[in-house]
Amino acid sequence: MTWPQARRIRQAVQILFVGLFVGLLLVATSRPAAVPLADIFFRFNPLPALGAMLASRAWIPHLGLALLTLGLTLVLGRVWCGWICPLGVLLEWVSFPKARRRGASLSIRWRNVKYLLLALVVVMAALGNLSLLILDPLALFTRAMTTAVLPAVTYGVNALETALYPIQFVQPAIDWVESGLRGPILPVHQPAFRQNILIATLFGAILALNALAHRFWCRYLCPLGALLGLLSRVSLLRPVISSSCNHCVRCVGVCRPGAIETRQQTQAILPSECTVCLDCLAACPETGVVFQASLRPAPAREFDLSRRQALSALALGTAGVLLLRTQQRHPLLIRPPGAQGEATFRSRCLRCAQCMKVCPTTGLQPALVEAGWEGLWTPVLQPRVGYCDYSCNACGQVCPSGAIPRLTLDEKRQALLGQAAVDRDRCLPWASGVPCIVCEEMCPTPQKAIRLEEATVVAADGLSIVVQRPSVLRELCIGCGICENRCPLEGDAAIHVYGIT
Amino acid sequence: MTRLTRRQFMRAAGAAAASAWLVGTGCAPQPSATAKPPAAPPTPTVQPSELAAVRGDDAATTEPPAVLPEPTAQPADLAVARGGDPAAITQAALAALGGINRFVKPGQEVVIKPNICVAYHPPEYAATTNPAVVAALVRLCLGAGAARVRVMDNPFGGTAEAAYAISGIAEAVSAAGGEMEVMSPVKYAEFPIPGGKDITAWKVYRDALETDVLINVPIAKHHSLARLTLGGKNLLGLVATPNQFHRNLGQRIADLASLFRPTLTLVDAVRILTAHGPSGGSLDDVKQTNTVIASPDMVAADAYATTLFGLTGSDISYIQAATDMGLGRMDLSSLKVEEVTL
Repeated sequence: MTWPQARRIRQAVQILFVGLFVGLLLVATSRPAAVPLADIFFRFNPLPALGAMLASRAWIPHLGLALLTLGLTLVLGRVWCGWICPLGVLLEWVSFPKARRRGASLSIRWRNVKYLLLALVVVMAALGNLSLLILDPLALFTRAMTTAVLPAVTYGVNALETALYPIQFVQPAIDWVESGLRGPILPVHQPAFRQNILIATLFGAILALNALAHRFWCRYLCPLGALLGLLSRVSLLRPVISSSCNHCVRCVGVCRPGAIETRQQTQAILPSECTVCLDCLAACPETGVVFQASLRPAPAREFDLSRRQALSALALGTAGVLLLRTQQRHPLLIRPPGAQGEATFRSRCLRCAQCMKVCPTTGLQPALVEAGWEGLWTPVLQPRVGYCDYSCNACGQVCPSGAIPRLTLDEKRQALLGQAAVDRDRCLPWASGVPCIVCEEMCPTPQKAIRLEEATVVAADGLSIVVQRPSVLRELCIGCGICENRCPLEGDAAIHVYGIT
Repeated sequence: MTRLTRRQFMRAAGAAAASAWLVGTGCAPQPSATAKPPAAPPTPTVQPSELAAVRGDDAATTEPPAVLPEPTAQPADLAVARGGDPAAITQAALAALGGINRFVKPGQEVVIKPNICVAYHPPEYAATTNPAVVAALVRLCLGAGAARVRVMDNPFGGTAEAAYAISGIAEAVSAAGGEMEVMSPVKYAEFPIPGGKDITAWKVYRDALETDVLINVPIAKHHSLARLTLGGKNLLGLVATPNQFHRNLGQRIADLASLFRPTLTLVDAVRILTAHGPSGGSLDDVKQTNTVIASPDMVAADAYATTLFGLTGSDISYIQAATDMGLGRMDLSSLKVEEVTL
């Protein structure tokens, strides 16, 4: 096999992985068979595994597969970045014509930003804070797909089909699409996430930075890339420039991560920056690039974290954790079913957004400040947007770290998310003498956690009317929020679920 | 001035479209009460009056003053079948009404609307229509030459797929040769309700309105506001915003019934839910009554079903309102009732 063929194989592998990644995101919500596979990428991802295990001070067996990625990196270098990472693939596909020239003029020193970010992730995780896992590449991709891209695509498809459906001869075609895709792929209820713009902007910015340099994110910012880069410095097999190099610098031209530098007319490959994409081997007219086994660590470079920088990261991380800890949380903070206390939850949650993708009502939303800034983009249940479905335990099934425990459906039905309370000043039968029992009707608990009491009141027209007034039976309420979700009052509901502390 | 290249233009246009789209979905209709139906209704392709004609509704069953006997022997207005086998009593009830051929003609499309309101419990809990009853209807329709039989509901708790599965209806219907349809958001459109007293237009499911034959198969169960969920209440599964009905439930259901006018209503009372409806969850609230009630007159079928709970039609606001609108007869003594026991 020649190197150009090997390069083709790599491209095929990348397509396969990005396809698998997006495919799992699409089907995992409704195909029960796919759900156990849904978090497979995260299970191989060492950055959140390291963070969650540090922060929760526990070995998390489910994330143990990440050791395989570390092992692979110790043998072959950043194969993850060049072959597997779906965000990496996307960043390889987004190309800008002037990126190479601009990238060449950027100082190599900027590469230490990613090591600084990694150091911050580790320091903060050691102090029990996982806020910076929002920068994990898989989490970034999943979150952008879940909250921005897929809802927008769904909206577009729905709008198009709605416009076309009244046309008689198009109906069979739409019917065919609908019978195949509605439910499994296209959600019945339009997903809507309040922070989609913010999340999409961040994701778009990461793609747009490619205009400054190929794979800008991977070179300068990615904390996972930094972790794998550190390991690659001691990896067993490394591509190196051999003595048959004729200094044509073709390899420098094709290297997307910019891992080949020229000093005094000779080229050298930086193992920590190389993504093992094989492009240089394929481009080399001689056998100027070869894989060589080496047990010696790669030499120190100017973009390594200095002791001063490492100490700064320590100080900055500590200060950040302390500031983030001393914040008020919102009284309506409701965590997904089964979450074991706020501190435990936050030290486990990978901010990966998979629970939000899998939630059939999209009630699980990315938090902004509900849990303080520390909880940014962790999941919170917002009952007015979507309730916790009594027949669903999917979030716990896809949670890679166990922040949301893997409950059986019967266990989940007992799990307490919060407690509902009626706002008697706004509730139709209480405040306005209008008959309404929607909260009681919707309550999924077998004995109904909402009790109706008959009362004769004087209605707006001056006549007596019998209404049924709802009140919550605290010992039966599980806080699923369907009452708040379906309360027919305009605007805010007249029944609210409050978080439990 | 620099000229815009095509590439630049496409990029800018793409970015603008994408951001507009994102803004759109960010404040897209949330599943809350604030969502209002659009102001400008899409023009319906078929008027409800035409629909009745297309469906072959005989005016006799829906407008009592103009009762015209069928050309042959006068068939029963309402059939009640009792027995331990849900499929057999369903067939017997239809036979007593003069056979399925009275309602389904070869080549017609049929929509069956059972009550699959939640994805919580198996059919023994009597929150969802008996799967054997639904499957028997599918078989009868296909036997009568129906081109296509679709079964659908829009659950208020849980996803449609989960509800179809746990209710046992999905499995039974596919075994019988019918199709389960996940009700699609793209198929709702606002239609005028010409005879409506409270609501004169509503966003409803187009396929259920425009189908040749609509068969309404509620399960009889308790409901705190309506008192009972029967055929009339079951029609709420065909509208876009059902919880907006509760403010004037009786009249609004009657208005909706005037729009849909199901060809046939069959009330499943094999098991009935006597408390904690409509979602149920306790077998203590379930009563085995081994009965089905079928009629082309939904009001009559509903009125008869109330007697299983010790009530009468006038106790249920939507039955009374539908009677007042002339949509059917709740006075059981005026009906020709055929009773069968297997």
